[in-house]
Amino acid sequence: MQAIQTVTVGSGGAASITFSSIPATFTDLVLVISSRLTLGATSSSLGVFLNTAASDTSYRVLRGNGSNVASETNSGQQDFYVGETAASSATASTFGSTQVTIPNYLGSQQKSMSADQVMENNATTAFQTISAGLCTKTAAVTSLTVRGFAGSSGNLVEHSSATLYGILAGSDGTTTVT
Amino acid sequence: MPTPTYIPLQTITLGSAASSVTFASIPATYRDLVLVINGAMPTSGGEVYARLNSDSGSNYSAVRMTGNGSSSSSAALTSNRLGFFYTTGSELANVIVSLMDYSATDKHKTTLSRGSQAAGRGVAAWGSRWANADAVTTIAIYHEGGDYPSGVTFSLYAIEA
Repeated sequence: MQAIQTVTVGSGGAASITFSSIPATFTDLVLVISSRLTLGATSSSLGVFLNTAASDTSYRVLRGNGSNVASETNSGQQDFYVGETAASSATASTFGSTQVTIPNYLGSQQKSMSADQVMENNATTAFQTISAGLCTKTAAVTSLTVRGFAGSSGNLVEHSSATLYGILAGSDGTTTVT
Repeated sequence: MPTPTYIPLQTITLGSAASSVTFASIPATYRDLVLVINGAMPTSGGEVYARLNSDSGSNYSAVRMTGNGSSSSSAALTSNRLGFFYTTGSELANVIVSLMDYSATDKHKTTLSRGSQAAGRGVAAWGSRWANADAVTTIAIYHEGGDYPSGVTFSLYAIEA
């Protein structure tokens, strides 16, 4: 696994983080995010879209909040919902942590994705989410954007960050596969 | 000095439907293994599972939590196979499995797996155990619903401690 790029949000925050010109030299992509959003609530939804935003993404999630668990689904969305992250009313300086995996990002098939997220809050209510996403784009992934879900869940605050990693499959010359 | 991660061991993209994929002669020189499965699933659905070192005895157990988009569930089970995820229909799925301490000879082997099938079964996390202290040298992967279709990819990686 090789780090491709890290972006840290500077003073004043940012509406989104975008990785563009992603090299076509890996097999899978892994995106690791530390985020907090400006929405006036304890938590807010975080989203990721591939290439350009379009209403082409569906997801199913399993989410706990410290006392209950629920599952939900949605389709025709611009973003892959990757979970609930800390927002303005959460304990100061707490951030949410997210990992998104996109296998076969260069393939001509639709893109099936996975995400795991925990929200830090240092309080009883904090969300943990696992998500399954499907984007119907069949083109290779050349850019990734992280933002408040659908662009309407607040901006990323200063010190939010995202790192994109590439994983390259191959052979060690010893292990066999049949 | 950064520790190498995701060292590629072997990968295969199925050129035709196959009932199983087997990784063998896995070297004992690493700490953990990561298996990534991606592609369409058998239409009839069922469990994505593996057998380690060809063991088909009732030596496996698992706990799992699942969300299908409307309800959630959790269960514990014992089995003759190492379960990773249930799929429904032929829709695309990802299964990402971490196999810890696979080369150790003093402990049972455990896996954490994450399954995602947004247009099918939904999402799940499984923790599974093989009640055997042998080093893992062979992983054979199956699907309860029959053959994996052409185009499915299976990649095995190693992680050094």
